[in-house]
Amino acid sequence: MRLSKCLNNYYRQLIISLCLLSVIPLSSNVFANEASIEAKSTSRAWHNVEKRGTKQNVYFHAWGGDQQINNYIQWVADQVKQKYAINLHHVKLTDTSEAVSRVLAEKAADNHRNGQVDLVWINGANFASMAKYQLLAADWAGELPNFELTNPTNNPAMTRDFGVPTQGMEAPWGQAALTFYFDSLKVNDVPQTLPELLTWSENHPGHFTYPKPPDFLGMSFLKYALIILNEQQPANIKEKLYQDATVESQAQLLPSLWQFLDKLHPTLWRQGKHFVSNGLALRRLMGDTELQVSFTFSAAEIPSAISRYDLPDSTRSYRMKDGSLSNIHFVAIPYNSPHIEGAKLVANFLLSPEAQSRKQKTAVWGDSSVLDLSQLTATQKTLFAAPKKQHLSANIINIDNTRLLGELHPSWVKVITEQWLTRYGVQ
Amino acid sequence: MIVANTLFTRVVRNSPYLLIALLVVPVLGGLLGVLLPAFGWFPALGAHEFGLFGFVQLFQTPGIERMVLLSFGTSLASTLLAFIITILILASYFNSPWLKRIQRLLGPILVIPHAAAAIAIGFLITPSGFLSRLVSPWLTGWDTPPDWLLPHDPYGLSIIFGLTLKELPFLLLIALGVLAQPEIGKTLRAQHKVASSLGYCPMTGFFKVILPSLYGYMRLPLLAVLAYSSASVEIPLILGPNTPPTLAVAIMQWFNDVDLSLRIKASSGAILQIVITLSLLGSWWLLELFVKQCSAAFLINGEREYGGMLIKRLTDMITIAMLTVIGLALVAMVLWSFAGFWSYPDILPQQLVSLHWTSALLQMQTPLFNTLVIAISTTLIAIALTLLVLEAEQQNTKTISAISGFIIYLPLLIPSIAFLFGIVWLFEQVNSQHAYVNVVFSHLLFVLPYVFLSLANSYRRLDPRFSSVAASLGVPPSKIFWQLKLPLLISPILIASALGLAISFSQYLPTLLSGAGRINTITTEAVTLANGASRRTSAVYALMQMLLPALFFILAWAVPKFFFRKRG
Amino acid sequence: MKSTLTQKTPSLNISHLQLKQQGTPLLSLNEEVKGGEVLTIMGPSGSGKSTLLNWLVGMLPSDFTATGELYLNGQDITNTASHLRHIGLLYQDPLLFPHLTVAGNIAFAMPKGDKQTRRDEISEALNQVGLAGMEKRCPQHLSGGQQARVALLRVLLSKPKAILLDEPFSKLDSQLRQETRQLVFEQIQRYSLPAVMVTHDQSDAIAAQGKVITLDTLSLNEVAS
Repeated sequence: MRLSKCLNNYYRQLIISLCLLSVIPLSSNVFANEASIEAKSTSRAWHNVEKRGTKQNVYFHAWGGDQQINNYIQWVADQVKQKYAINLHHVKLTDTSEAVSRVLAEKAADNHRNGQVDLVWINGANFASMAKYQLLAADWAGELPNFELTNPTNNPAMTRDFGVPTQGMEAPWGQAALTFYFDSLKVNDVPQTLPELLTWSENHPGHFTYPKPPDFLGMSFLKYALIILNEQQPANIKEKLYQDATVESQAQLLPSLWQFLDKLHPTLWRQGKHFVSNGLALRRLMGDTELQVSFTFSAAEIPSAISRYDLPDSTRSYRMKDGSLSNIHFVAIPYNSPHIEGAKLVANFLLSPEAQSRKQKTAVWGDSSVLDLSQLTATQKTLFAAPKKQHLSANIINIDNTRLLGELHPSWVKVITEQWLTRYGVQ
Repeated sequence: MIVANTLFTRVVRNSPYLLIALLVVPVLGGLLGVLLPAFGWFPALGAHEFGLFGFVQLFQTPGIERMVLLSFGTSLASTLLAFIITILILASYFNSPWLKRIQRLLGPILVIPHAAAAIAIGFLITPSGFLSRLVSPWLTGWDTPPDWLLPHDPYGLSIIFGLTLKELPFLLLIALGVLAQPEIGKTLRAQHKVASSLGYCPMTGFFKVILPSLYGYMRLPLLAVLAYSSASVEIPLILGPNTPPTLAVAIMQWFNDVDLSLRIKASSGAILQIVITLSLLGSWWLLELFVKQCSAAFLINGEREYGGMLIKRLTDMITIAMLTVIGLALVAMVLWSFAGFWSYPDILPQQLVSLHWTSALLQMQTPLFNTLVIAISTTLIAIALTLLVLEAEQQNTKTISAISGFIIYLPLLIPSIAFLFGIVWLFEQVNSQHAYVNVVFSHLLFVLPYVFLSLANSYRRLDPRFSSVAASLGVPPSKIFWQLKLPLLISPILIASALGLAISFSQYLPTLLSGAGRINTITTEAVTLANGASRRTSAVYALMQMLLPALFFILAWAVPKFFFRKRG
Repeated sequence: MKSTLTQKTPSLNISHLQLKQQGTPLLSLNEEVKGGEVLTIMGPSGSGKSTLLNWLVGMLPSDFTATGELYLNGQDITNTASHLRHIGLLYQDPLLFPHLTVAGNIAFAMPKGDKQTRRDEISEALNQVGLAGMEKRCPQHLSGGQQARVALLRVLLSKPKAILLDEPFSKLDSQLRQETRQLVFEQIQRYSLPAVMVTHDQSDAIAAQGKVITLDTLSLNEVAS
């Protein structure tokens, strides 16, 4: 009787252990299920978006002044039609502020559900304005599956628009970075940093200039200079460039810029007594060979200008080693759009490797991709390989090591413009 | 004249009132539309109280004194220079066949739009331009373009150069027109002969005898030139400095700024511009008095010879220089429009391509269409109205009153920048959304004076006996008009039409403002491109600006020759 | 001693003049006019009267050609510039300069000189023709006859060496015509100027008391005075 009791105990323990053991896989299955339940619920949310967004009419309000860009948007429309049966309408704007005014007017008229604008191409002051008046749908950019590909945690620029946090109200679309170009026949000692630029201009007076404020390109050069000249300042002071400009921060940050310009101006084209009014004129002066070094935001225009004989064949482009002012342009969805899901699908497609790589092609648009190549698969990376047959100037020197500098807070633009005009505006 | 009361005669009788209304209402209304904001009244911005803060802002603008001086100085200098060269040419070539030849050579410049002329001169004098290439490197040793300050020099010399070159043919043509009129011309020439018989060499005879009388006829056109150049926008925009620019350019930039609060400053600026123009006219009048005073003794001192040969040589040189400059500018533009690679300092491009023309012609389809539609509409209305008013003159058997004659010149005397913005404001009040209609309306203001000037002489010189005979045969006035007068006047009508078209082609500010930036014409595109990225495309557009009026003038000359030959 | 040839007897000598219009002969003339004498040229329009005058002042239009010489007081002035010939012109229109006063018009014609002297001369001259005190008047406000007299003074006070009259009295009514004509011829005698007058009017020719030449379109006929 005692042996049977022992055996019974052993069996009972075995069975209990076995039972316990079997629970563990079951429990891990529960965890696994929870994890996969989470995964399933994210993709389910996106799946819902996909379901509801198909067959919608999406009105994309975007600047229509460049035929190349318009053609690209037409291609996007064809793609989303195939994928999601979405009808994408490109409403061509002369200025983004038109869309801002429209949504503002709709809100003022209590139209909260049936706005005319579904998706808008936007950045900078216009975004700040729409955010301020609460005209945008909030917190949706993170939902987009392709948003991950921009590596937002490591690329803070993806969630900042001219220094102002996007707060999920905008999804990045493309980026432009200040690119310099020079005539390789005439220039042997290409300046690759800002101090080098000053030295070069002193040695070769009359061959460099920048457009006078408030031109956007001219302002960008001044902003770039402002950032570089204040590199040595303590971090808490440098931060102020990305915040509202105060009298105090101006006094701390601006003097170095004026000192630099005071040294630079006498060496400039026309001895700094005359500045061109817009950025386009710089390219004309390079074509006339009056300038030998210049800069632009859209590097793709260089090879294109060469093909039209507007720039010498020996022109080459490069990025400054000490940094390149870059700004990201975004797409946003107004709060009152009736086709939010369709708009999200389009925004997601705009972030796809397929769309971004095509956009980057010089022949199509030449606008840089916002995707982080390290997040892509090998196959996806091949999409971004440069085409073989393009002008030498399309290969931007230093592009891989570009140190991107974020845009300043919008309030600095007015401050710099006013003070520049007071100091140099009247000769 | 007693006329039957038909539809035709009623329309004719009321047409002068329509003409005056069309000219006076927009101009005065426009002035009002600028006067009110200038003194602070701008409801759209919430400003409801009259005040002077617009003017305070204006005078606090950095460089405002320079802007005013620049506007004043460039227009006075260019008008004086154009006038002096004109009378030098007249004096030197008075009895010579060269006068007619110079007139024919300089005449076409009249119809070249100011924008195209500015672009052409820019091509010539810019450091990498044609003049510099012609003398480099064999004369100057330059192998990169020099860093000189033309154009855009701060003293406005480039502006003066451009304005003088553009105004000179106009003044010369007016003077020659006066001399061509039978009574005046004959009398003046006879007086010149008398002076010659009294021992005065031809040049001195011209200055002492003809000029004092001729000047009276040239005064109004001179004042018009002075007024226009003080407020012109195209030439200072393309050739002038921008630190600071002339007042007119600055006003235009303020009006176009996104920051609406600048509108008040801009309106105050427009009032300041009117003051500048008036003070220029006043200065000219003072100058006249001064010259009259100084010359009183000079005229009768009996001196017969003042180194006439020297002056003649000088004039020869100036004339040749001018014609050369114009010729070179044209050559430069043509070369640039076909240029492939063209490095400095080559005189000719390394290769010639048609790419710029083909791509530009593709791009300019809409602007070209707009330009033609607007010009043809405007000219048709202007011609019709002018003919009706001139017919009304004959019906009433007296020419339009002096006041009406002055009102026709009104849009040419008041700076357009002053009242055009007011007109835009008027359009907004009337809620006129149709950009085309607005633009045609504002073009009409500038086309009417020229068309009227051009047709009036020919119409008034029609022998009134034709109509009397026809009337005595029982022909009604409308039939006389359509079947007798118009066919007799086909040639002057076509020339006036070509002139009207040319004036409309060349309008910049009216198109820009009345069309609210939505209507692009060849001229607006050309001005934008002049400051743009491609010199080659800019050349194509500037040449297009010149070809269009030329085409229509050739048509105006050819059509009567081939289609309206004398019958029977 | 000086020979009689170099003595300054005023004379205008038209020597073997042949005027041709585009190759076709127009007129020929060979005359000498002594100081104080008036040579009257008459003829229908188109006969070349104005052309002759144009040649005399040196302003022959380009479609005419001329051979022959012109001597003034012994000097060959055939190719002298118009304004250096010192030949005065009196037109049918007085052609007073509207921008100068009466005195100004006359002063314009006078050679350089002292202001006061000129003023006195002008006053004196105006007195002589019955226009005393009219120095400051504007030419437009004078009557036709008064203007004609001022025009005459203007020519005379420029001290010409010869004087040409181009139908100078045709615009005046008959009373005024006689008076003015008499005045003109008196002054011509007084200053001893050789004169050539072109006219339609027979009475002008008679009053001139000089040689009269009638041109017709084909040839030249002399009519004894």
